[in-house]
Amino acid sequence: MLEERLRFETLLSELSAGLIHVPAGAIDAALERALQQVVTFLGVDRGTVDVYDEGGRGVRISWALSGLRDSPHVMDADQFPWTAEQLGRGNIVRFARIDELPEEATIDRASFERVGTRSKVSFPLNAGGPMLGVLSFGSVRRERTWPAELVERLRLLSEAFASALERKRVDLSLAERLRFEKLLSSLSTAFSQLSAGDFNREVQRALHRVVDFLGVARGSLIEFSRDGGTAHSWAIEEWMDVGEFPWMTAQLQRGDVVSFSELETLPDEAAVDRRSYLAHRVKPQVAMPLMAGGTVVGGLVFSTGDGERPRSGERLLMQQLQLLGEVFANALSRKQGELETQRLRQELTHIGRVSAMGELTASLAHELTQPLTAILSNAQTAQGLLALDVINLEAVREILNDIVADDKRAAAVIHRLRILLRKGDPEFAPLAVNEIVGEVAWLVRSDALLRNVSMSLELAPDLPSVLGDRVQLQQVVLNLVLNGLEAMRPPWAGARTLVIRTASEGAAAVTVAVQDSGTGIDEKDTDSIFQPLYTTKAEGLGMGLAIARTIVNAHDGRLIAANNEHGGATVYFTLPVRRQDEC
Amino acid sequence: MLTAVAPLVFVVDDNPSVRKSLSRLLAAAGYTVEAFASAREFLTRVPSEGPCCLVLDVRMPGLTGIELQAALVAAGRRMSIVFVTGHIDVRMSVKAMKGGAVDLLTKPIDRQELLAAIERAVTKDEKDLSEEIRIAEIRQRVKTLTVRETQVFALVVTGMLNKQMAFDLGVVEKTIKVHRARVMEKMRAGSMAELVRLADAVGVIVPSAR
Repeated sequence: MLEERLRFETLLSELSAGLIHVPAGAIDAALERALQQVVTFLGVDRGTVDVYDEGGRGVRISWALSGLRDSPHVMDADQFPWTAEQLGRGNIVRFARIDELPEEATIDRASFERVGTRSKVSFPLNAGGPMLGVLSFGSVRRERTWPAELVERLRLLSEAFASALERKRVDLSLAERLRFEKLLSSLSTAFSQLSAGDFNREVQRALHRVVDFLGVARGSLIEFSRDGGTAHSWAIEEWMDVGEFPWMTAQLQRGDVVSFSELETLPDEAAVDRRSYLAHRVKPQVAMPLMAGGTVVGGLVFSTGDGERPRSGERLLMQQLQLLGEVFANALSRKQGELETQRLRQELTHIGRVSAMGELTASLAHELTQPLTAILSNAQTAQGLLALDVINLEAVREILNDIVADDKRAAAVIHRLRILLRKGDPEFAPLAVNEIVGEVAWLVRSDALLRNVSMSLELAPDLPSVLGDRVQLQQVVLNLVLNGLEAMRPPWAGARTLVIRTASEGAAAVTVAVQDSGTGIDEKDTDSIFQPLYTTKAEGLGMGLAIARTIVNAHDGRLIAANNEHGGATVYFTLPVRRQDEC
Repeated sequence: MLTAVAPLVFVVDDNPSVRKSLSRLLAAAGYTVEAFASAREFLTRVPSEGPCCLVLDVRMPGLTGIELQAALVAAGRRMSIVFVTGHIDVRMSVKAMKGGAVDLLTKPIDRQELLAAIERAVTKDEKDLSEEIRIAEIRQRVKTLTVRETQVFALVVTGMLNKQMAFDLGVVEKTIKVHRARVMEKMRAGSMAELVRLADAVGVIVPSAR
């Protein structure tokens, strides 16, 4: 007997000591092994550790004789109100026979009897904080006693268990929290750089990651349009049409969270939804409304299939969903905002072109005046020749030829203006960058002249063609040139030179640089110059560089501005070279 | 017209069409025309001996019309200028007129207006030319004066009396009378009033008396 006690003592201290060194990830397995040893040693039928996480019930680790029915959770207040209360208070519950249970435990007695438990000892597991779980040993084949000495030994074991579980909980929640933070920040980064074009792909990717993280089966994002209808939805696994879930949709649109783990708990109004859930074999589900600027812009829905449950506990899950919801809500409102501004931007691009035209008016007038002057002079000279007695027909013919040529020149000015002012959808086609630069230079040469700026072109020969919209790219060059000219406007008294340069940047890109010798970019303006409606000019609209950058970005290019080493600034943009397989 | 040859009209405009058509118009009107594509090109031409005028575009790359005008004035070159421009602004026209321009015409230019302006410019140039010749001649006469005669010339046109001049120059009055008579003779002035006009034309500088 003494020897037996000594062996048990040794076993317990070995188990307790052993648990201290077990890594957090292996604790469950170590507890199971420990249970097995203790159960075997004591000759009881079952040893169980029920682990509770923040949300309630968690994992169950148990070791039992084969063929035994799973024992009930003693913390289930419906079946074991008295036991649960005792354990909750931190008391040990033990009985050798069911009738040892006190009067107040009538329900517990009945329950134990029903499941066939004859003797049991249960220890609340806690390590100074909230209750972590319950360690129980039970006997179903026969009744057995729990001497105080044994209970004391097991209590010590339960402390070792508790601290192991606490260690695991802290460790896991820390790792989990880190993983979640990482997920959140990478999602918000991905969404913040999102353009409307990438939206679908990026949302799919994000949903995938969230579904993987939460350990659920389905995830979907619903977008509500302004008029309250469903604009769009994205889903992982199979999508369930929003129309099948009128009740859930209505709840979401009201801004309410819909969460259920059993279909039976859904209210009567949700009859249609319930049928749909059944058809899709969806069990627990959480649907989170997405709010942006005080309105519901969409919903985030996660659900598991039969018998599954999300990895995180309920409270944690809701917190996580709340945070995820914000990220997705941001993405949705960004996208909705972007679609709205896309139309607006197209308008503005046109306005920008028109206002650039305004700036060019003087030079265009000059441009038209030249051929008109020549035409008038020639025509009047011809009139004079025709009034003479002897008419020099050869001279008159020459004059008429010149008049025709000058008239065509004037028409060309107007034609180019029309192209530049044309409003419409961008048309992408292979383009020679030098040609575009040449055309703009032709347009602005009088402007440069009027401003007393010497403008020159340095065009690289044999540039590969790029894919783009001619009018838009012309506008980019035009805006950059007008900005450059503006930077050298009086009172600027320094040099007045403007160089437009083209070059190839490796085999993959073509660069267009507009270099001026003007005032340069003020240090404090470097970030703001690309912002819409930001201007340092008295009469500027502040759209020039913003529009230019929008257009360049839409061409998968980059637009960069920098001050020159020796005064003035250079704004340049790169465009990717058209690949062989395109167009 | 003072000369037998047709007056020379220079056309300076960077636009080839305008240059050609204006040259043609002026040639048809009987002028001898020389056209230049830039102000610099024009400056390399030797100054014209005979009457001439310049039809000058205001806006040009490199040296502008206004700058060319200033350069000509600085170099003391006689030139009647008719400016032509696509767009008139006040500051520019004030500059042009202050620089002595005959006219400033807006493109497109009516033939009659242009010919009238050129007519005025040529007339002005002929006047300037004869004035230039006259002044050169007076300068020539001044050059024949001795230092003392030049001093007397400069003082006498200010209305100074002989006695005072004698005191100022430290000589006797009689000597002044002799110098004065030599000045009148060398300058071919019939009267005191004419001598003053001659002095005015060349801007006599009073040489230091002591």
